[in-house]
Parts: sequence; structure tokens; C-alpha cells
Amino acid sequence: MGTKVYFMIKTAEEAGQEGYEQVLKALEAIPEVESIEPASGDYDLVARVDVPKRVVPVANKILESGGVKRLEVIRVEPLEPNPFMEEVCSIPGGESVLWCAQCGMCSASCPNVAQMDYSPRKIIALIRAGNRNQVLGSNSMGVCASCYLCTVRCPREVKITELMHALECLATRHELTSAKTATPMMHRFFVDIIKRNGRAHEFGLMLRFYLRTNPFAAIKMLPMALKLLLHGRMPLRARRIKGTEQLKVIIHEAQIMGGAI
Amino acid sequence: MKYYSYFPGCSLDATAVAYGLSIKAICDPLGMELIELEDWNCCGSTPYGSTDELEAVCIATRNLALAEKKGLDLVTPCSSCYLTLNKANSNLKLYPDLKDRVEWILAAAGLEYRGTVRVRHLAEVILNDIGLEAIKSKVVNRLDGLKVAPYYGCQLVRPALGFDAPENPQSLDRLIASLGAEPTPFPLKSRCCGGSLIISEPDLALGLIRQLLESAAANGAECIITPCPLCQTNLDAFQGMVNAKFKTRFEIPILFFTQLMGVAFGINAKALGLNKGVISAKKALAPFQVAAK
Repeated sequence: MGTKVYFMIKTAEEAGQEGYEQVLKALEAIPEVESIEPASGDYDLVARVDVPKRVVPVANKILESGGVKRLEVIRVEPLEPNPFMEEVCSIPGGESVLWCAQCGMCSASCPNVAQMDYSPRKIIALIRAGNRNQVLGSNSMGVCASCYLCTVRCPREVKITELMHALECLATRHELTSAKTATPMMHRFFVDIIKRNGRAHEFGLMLRFYLRTNPFAAIKMLPMALKLLLHGRMPLRARRIKGTEQLKVIIHEAQIMGGAI
Repeated sequence: MKYYSYFPGCSLDATAVAYGLSIKAICDPLGMELIELEDWNCCGSTPYGSTDELEAVCIATRNLALAEKKGLDLVTPCSSCYLTLNKANSNLKLYPDLKDRVEWILAAAGLEYRGTVRVRHLAEVILNDIGLEAIKSKVVNRLDGLKVAPYYGCQLVRPALGFDAPENPQSLDRLIASLGAEPTPFPLKSRCCGGSLIISEPDLALGLIRQLLESAAANGAECIITPCPLCQTNLDAFQGMVNAKFKTRFEIPILFFTQLMGVAFGINAKALGLNKGVISAKKALAPFQVAAK
């Protein structure tokens, strides 16, 4: 996975026409440099360069080739088409990664960023780099509490929280969820209950979740659950709506349309 | 009398049963009638939206389609339902392609949604449609001297749906003052309690809850009020686990804002579900003679 980088190059003025040609030859000899065109304005040349990994070493190579006074990166684009980016953009909210400015306000605002494999800003950078497995296999979505602080603070109006939800959907669909967080499993169990009953059921969710993940954690939770039970706040039986059949039709049709069936 | 369609949300049958009771109790004095939407289903909340985005918007829209037939604003007391149903509404408007698909899917189930339902939070309805003056006029039991921390939580004010400021909201502060009580400064008033991560990432959520309780206690709050069922459960039912984990000794009752209003309206403790709190509000409310019996 690499990128295509456009450098604006200013050559050393004192070199003259002969020197200019020498500079061109030296630049063309650098294997990463794909093409060089003359430029107008503050710079003399524009070079299109294939950067396999990091920009700085290639920039240093150009600077050290002789006759180059200064350079500037004007544009970076993916070397290959990025199907992951397209996948993310096709989900409502996902398209906003296109206009992220990588300022990091989201990461600075996140209450749970310290527990994330990759901060929200990094997640967007990795999406742009096409690192699908790295993103979908991370725990970042699982420790997002959906507090939307990043979303309201983003100066570019990137819907970061919605993006996190979209990424968890993709990770769940392709069975890539991180083993470090049990949140996606909890979400799936929650959804199963709704599909069956049309209503959420906290007791059923917690019971299934703890038995599946860590029965010892359930023991820790027991006094709390008992208190809720004694206060009439934890019904043991799930409620069920009349329209479960209608709900089933809706979910079935959505699965067909979403390509799951 | 003002009429609304009512979407209580699943929590009001379970962990937030006191919220439902107190809402029922204060509706009459406030001159509003909430007509429960028949056979509503779970909005899907964050878990469904993080599992399958198309199914999630479809099941949320089933509720909107049911509400559209009634022609009234759809009012929910739950911040998560409020956000989820609003999100379905706005995504259907924003993405025509999604709208086409959802319409087709709902049609297969004999439903139609044209996109006309306004989804509102109960706190917003009480503050904007009823108003502080009307609330003040119903107060028979002024809560003089009671120090109350207003805890807004996240999803009532974020992402910005226009009800109040996303980071420093003021509406509940004003509500507390209108009941005669004193709103305490509460710098973390709209910070996260961890939400449903209390189940899957308990250590993380307990840390967030601790910060909130610490901030409220440091500002002298005798109780905290909230408009969110999940926030109430996290701060109330898990306060004991916070104390055990961090060796703290918090004992702050967490009330729904509607319970506090009911106390000021002179409604008895049982009708307001004040006996449902894990942390008893007896001590804090004793001077106002409505302690739970």
C-alpha cells in the first residue's frame, strides 16, 4: 500500500540552463520519481512520485540529489484504488471521512481514547490508507460510548460516532471484530432479543452475555442485579409486542436487500 | 390540554419504572396527555445501529410509521430513543437511496412512512410547550435550599438537535430553580456515564461514573436529576460498585427530573416511584415531607 505524492520543486537559481538539465537528470535517476513537469509560479518543477511507505525519506532523496533548493508537498493520493474507502462511504455517515482534516479534535475529546487501539483520528487515517483489517479488527468501535462529543466538536462536521457504528457493522458482518472487546457480542445479543420480542430485555441480555463471556463477572454484578430486582426494576420475563410477525417481515426484507440472504 | 403520541421506550418497563410512574403523575397538573403509541417496538438504540445499519433504520421507522397515522408529535422520555428515532428521520431525508430501500421494505410489511413525524424529548416538551411559568404555578411544596446537580447526559444534547447547548446546557438548571431548589454548578453535566458499556466494558464505565459522582459531590449536590433512563441506572444502581472499586463513599440519590417536579407539586412519594431508587432519596427529601414510606 503506497501513495502518490506531488512535489513542487524550486531549483537553485545560480545553476543556469546547463545546471537545470543536470538537476532534471539527477531527479529522473531517483527510482521513485515517476515523472517531472515544468511548473510556473514560485516553483520550477512538479514531480510525481510513488511513495511506498513514508514521504520524508523520499523527500530527502530529492533534496540531496543536488541543485534542489526547496520543495513542498502539494498533493497526496492513494496509489491504488481504495475499495475499503468506498465500502465505508457507502454507509450513511461514512462518507464524511472524505472531508476530515486530521486535526485530532475528536481524539482529544474522546473520554475512552486511552483504551482504544487507534484513536478516532487514526481510524480515519487508516481508512484513507485502505488498511481494512487493521481498522475493522481494532477495539476502537467497541469502547466508543456514543457520547457524540467528537461529533459536535469536529470543525469539519465529520460524523465520527456514526462512522464508529458503521465500522462496527462492517466488522460484525465480516466477522472481523476484535477479541479485545466484548461490546460487539453484547450488541448482537441485544439485537437477537429485539428480533424475537420486539422489545429489549435487560435481564435476558445480561444473563446471556455473562454466561457467554465471564460467569465470574456475573457474580460481581449479582448484588447490583439483586437490588434492581428487589426494587421491581428487573423483570425476569421479557415483554413481547403483538407485531413480532410484522417485525420479522421487515427484518427479512432488509436482510435480502442488504445482501445478507 | 395538550396531546402527544407517547413512546416510553423499553427501560420504562424495567430499570426506569419510576420514570414512567412520575411522568404519569405530573402529566395532569401540567395539562398534557400522553397517548401511548400502540404496539411500538424497541427503537434499536446504539446496539442495533452498530450491528446492521439497514435493519436498524427499518425497525426504528416502523415506530415512525405507526405514529404518523396518529398525526401528533411523538414524545419520548428516553434520550437514546430520542436520538435513534431522530436519526432515522434525518437519515431518510439525507439519503434518498436509503429512503427508497426503507420504503420498499416497509411496504412489504404493509406499512408506509412519508416522513412527517416530529420526534421530541419529554424534557424539551415540558420546557418549551408547557414552560417554566406554568411549572412554577403548580409548585405547592417549594424545594427551598435543596442542592440539585443537573445531569443532562449525552444523547439529549448531542449530536446537536437544537434543544440546548451540546456542552453547557442550561434548561434543567432553570427547571430546578423554578421548583425553588438550587442548581449546583456541575462541570461534567453533559459528560458520558458509559451508557451500555457498563455491561461489556464495566471497568471503563465505572471510571466515568466515578468522575461524575465526584464532580457532583464536590459541588455540594444532595441529589442528581437526569432525563435519561440509562444515566439514572448507571449512576444509581452502580454507585455501590463504584464505591467498592475506588474505595469511595458516595451516597447520592439519582432522581428523574420528573420525580423532582412531582415532589414540588406535592405528589406523594409512592406515586412518583421514589421507593424505586437503589440509593434512597429519603434523607435529601426529608425536609420536604414526601419521604418514601
